[in-house]
Amino acid sequence: MSQTAKRQQAPGGYRLRVGGHLDQRWSAWFDDLTLTRESDGTTSLSGAVTDQAELHGLLMKIRDLGITLISVDVIDPPDKATPITSG
Amino acid sequence: MATSLVQTKLYVPRLRRSLVARPRLSGRLSRGSDARLTLISAPAGFGKTTLLTAWLAAIATENRSVAWLSLDESDRQPATFWTYVITALQAAVPGIGADALPLLQSAQPPIETVLAAVLNELAATPNDVDLVLDDYHLVDGPDLRDGMTFLLEHLPPHVHLVISSRVDPLLPLARLRARGELVEVRAADLRFTPDEVATYLNDVIGLDLTPDDIVTLEGRTEGWIAALQLAAISMQGRTDIGGFIAGFAGDDRYIVDYLVEEVLARQTEQVRTFLLRTCLLDRLNGPLCDAVTGEPGGRATLEALDRANLFLVPLDDSRHWYRYHHLFADMLQAHLGDERPDEVTDLHRRASRWYDHNGQPAPAIRHAVAAGDIERAADLIELAIPELQRNRQEATIRGWLDAVPYEVVRMRPVLAVGFVAALMAGNEFEGVEARLRDAERWLEPAVGDGKEPHARSEGMVVVDERELSRLPGVIEMYWAALALVGGDVPATLRHAQLAIDRADDEDDVTRAGASAISGLAFWGSGDLEAAHRAYSSCVERLQRAGHLSDVLGCSITLADIRTTQGRLSDARRTFERALQLAAEVTGTVLRGTADMYVGMSQIAGERGDLHTATQHLARSQELGEHTGMPQNPYRWRVAMARVRESQGDLAGALTLLDDAQRVYLGDFLPNVRPVPALRARVLAAQGRWREALDWAREQGLSADDTLTYVREFAHITLAKVLLARYASDGDKSSLNDASRLLARLRPAAVAGGRAGSVIEILVLESLTHQVGGDIPRALGPLVEALTLAEPEGYVRVFVGEGPPMKSLLKAVISRQAGWDYVRRLLAAFADDDRTAQTATLGEPATNPSRRLVEPLSERELDVLRLLATDLDGPDIARQLFVSVNTMRTHTRSIYAKLGVNSRRAAVSRAEELGFVSRSRDR
Repeated sequence: MSQTAKRQQAPGGYRLRVGGHLDQRWSAWFDDLTLTRESDGTTSLSGAVTDQAELHGLLMKIRDLGITLISVDVIDPPDKATPITSG
Repeated sequence: MATSLVQTKLYVPRLRRSLVARPRLSGRLSRGSDARLTLISAPAGFGKTTLLTAWLAAIATENRSVAWLSLDESDRQPATFWTYVITALQAAVPGIGADALPLLQSAQPPIETVLAAVLNELAATPNDVDLVLDDYHLVDGPDLRDGMTFLLEHLPPHVHLVISSRVDPLLPLARLRARGELVEVRAADLRFTPDEVATYLNDVIGLDLTPDDIVTLEGRTEGWIAALQLAAISMQGRTDIGGFIAGFAGDDRYIVDYLVEEVLARQTEQVRTFLLRTCLLDRLNGPLCDAVTGEPGGRATLEALDRANLFLVPLDDSRHWYRYHHLFADMLQAHLGDERPDEVTDLHRRASRWYDHNGQPAPAIRHAVAAGDIERAADLIELAIPELQRNRQEATIRGWLDAVPYEVVRMRPVLAVGFVAALMAGNEFEGVEARLRDAERWLEPAVGDGKEPHARSEGMVVVDERELSRLPGVIEMYWAALALVGGDVPATLRHAQLAIDRADDEDDVTRAGASAISGLAFWGSGDLEAAHRAYSSCVERLQRAGHLSDVLGCSITLADIRTTQGRLSDARRTFERALQLAAEVTGTVLRGTADMYVGMSQIAGERGDLHTATQHLARSQELGEHTGMPQNPYRWRVAMARVRESQGDLAGALTLLDDAQRVYLGDFLPNVRPVPALRARVLAAQGRWREALDWAREQGLSADDTLTYVREFAHITLAKVLLARYASDGDKSSLNDASRLLARLRPAAVAGGRAGSVIEILVLESLTHQVGGDIPRALGPLVEALTLAEPEGYVRVFVGEGPPMKSLLKAVISRQAGWDYVRRLLAAFADDDRTAQTATLGEPATNPSRRLVEPLSERELDVLRLLATDLDGPDIARQLFVSVNTMRTHTRSIYAKLGVNSRRAAVSRAEELGFVSRSRDR
């Protein structure tokens, strides 16, 4: 697949990084995204995100918990974890 | 809407017992008591609501009222949102917007009309009013933006909007900021400073912390009050506070996670269970909690939690209803999902049952859906639909449609038809046919040509038996509506008749609906007499059903039909009858009343009685746009434009027509007299036939078109324009086109019984001959027109044609000296001339403005009348909904045209000229 073709498809996966370490129980709250507590004191929530509506729903949940949003990256859905483009 | 629900949304939260004084914030906010908008924008748990209530308490005086509205997600829909806003305002200004509220229940609620009416009432209140919208982020969106912007722009200076939100709202904040009309308090402002933290923890909570402790806690929580409160709870009664602080500071966890866990760990098992089981509820009271937890003592537990400050927010004064602080509820739900996932469904189920038993269908349905009890949710929806339909809350019904899978709806004919109604009310037609067929499947062909619903056949699910018996008629009505939308007239009429035949004996509403749909079909195909019959049936049935406002609405249509048929007296009688009906309704002005006066104005205008025409329009304006149908603003302006045109003020007429186009709202009736066509007529009269021809070109109109009733007015307009062109530049082909077109229009109008159109066509035919130099040939059609017109008293259609018609009428009189009607018409011409001269007896002429070298525009006349009152500049601007600058521009122009340079001189000259009477009694 060429670079242009990739860009035209809507992203199927995201990694959201937030400030602080979240408990594992929050994974279910965030649509079962994989929750990883990073060594720099942040937490990553990553996995498949169906569409933009779901993404904004997740962002709203982050907002409503008063957690600081640090970054949003596009990733390949579940299996691969390497970021393709910056968010 | 259950009253208790509404009350909790309007409740102004009580001031907390012990608060930290935060003078720096009070200082910021104090500017807000004069500002147009005060915005508190910060994430959850920053103390927005607390700050607001403290501030409002501090500025409370006798002359200041608060209207508070706590918003929910379900308030997003504009009609719902504005209804709540007006209801909230009624706490501060009793009775405000009472007349306008019903307008919000129509299919296309005219938001600006409603807001204008409310703003007018606000302008008149003596008190300062603070309108507070709490949790605005729950409703914020493009749907509300226009209305909110309008409200903000026109807010009187003593009314202040206060918004608390987790997100900056979709409003013109930058503009307000630049104009200094915005006061903001943001997260950075709301964070507790180390001093404030110390005051809170040591003085208010009563802990004994060292300065180092304070610094640590402030650092870890960053002054976030929600976290500080949780920490405070954890530290109270704990012996090793130092240990707690150290542990807390050294931990990397999301602080709310950490703290809530601490708090939960220190509760009794009973309280912990209570919290987890009730956190799914939007609102809590004792009985509901008992039902959901399965344990008694809910009320006592709530009171204890309230006393312990455990994130319960009271929703009323009597401490019946509470809710959890949002952040805390989210936390608890996450814990619940983690620790007791299998309880969740049952909890929702219990809540749903309780709400159902307590007459609150909406939350009952919400919880049923959350529990996955789709069948039960479908039952509840079916039962809730009739009431929602009565209150025109179809959008709510539409929202539930997505929650119920198609397979479930298929088995439920009543529910399916209820959804059809909601879809069609929202102009969504996809899927309607399929659902109607599904519903029909359950009906059995009965004796004769009717249909009966199956008696409890295999699989059919019905909860609302009464609605079931209405189904045969209702389904046919929706088929008729669908056929109408698809333009299939025969099918429309067939289904409408079936609807009437099959409707329940007492179901006047369905029969009325079916009659109206037939009426529309007949109208669209040009059979006016049949349309009138159908609408008359509709009106009869509506009256029986008590839907009086709809009777008025249909009266407009009935009168329109009669006018087209050339029966002005009958049209007038229709309006008079409707007004009689309206007069019998006491205590409120029946919606549609304003439109009756607009209609009567138009009839008076046709008969040349401009004085009465103007009076009727004034009466309509007095009553207010909100006492008319949503199309009233547009109709009024069109009628007023006609008056101006009759007075010779063509420029004024055009301005009004442009305005009318701006506020135009379509309805179900075909638009047979579109504003652009009306405009084209005025342009032609001004000699601007080129622009008028542009309009014809855009519309694809030509003299050789196939003629249909719906385009008749447009075609007659084209003929006028072509004639104007010939009169201006002698283009023969235009004259020929006009003649050809008119020759075809006439038989069509005659065949359709449209005498009103026939008269106009004959007049134009007469003029085509005259302008071509053939006076004898011109007289034939003219005499025919006069004969038709005389019994109904038409004047304008002749006098509006000016000098050419005048000379033709003189020719008629010379051959038939005894024809009084023609003499009267000629006298009417003389009146027109007279108004162009200066007044002799000091009486105000029909249009005094014509006596100025440059006449005043409509708008300028409005300003001038207000200059004659005691209002100051800004107040006048406000009354007219313009900026002070715009008003000043108008004033300058007025002074120039009147030849004065002061307000007093302008008023005095206005009185001389008769624009303004010396003693006004408005």
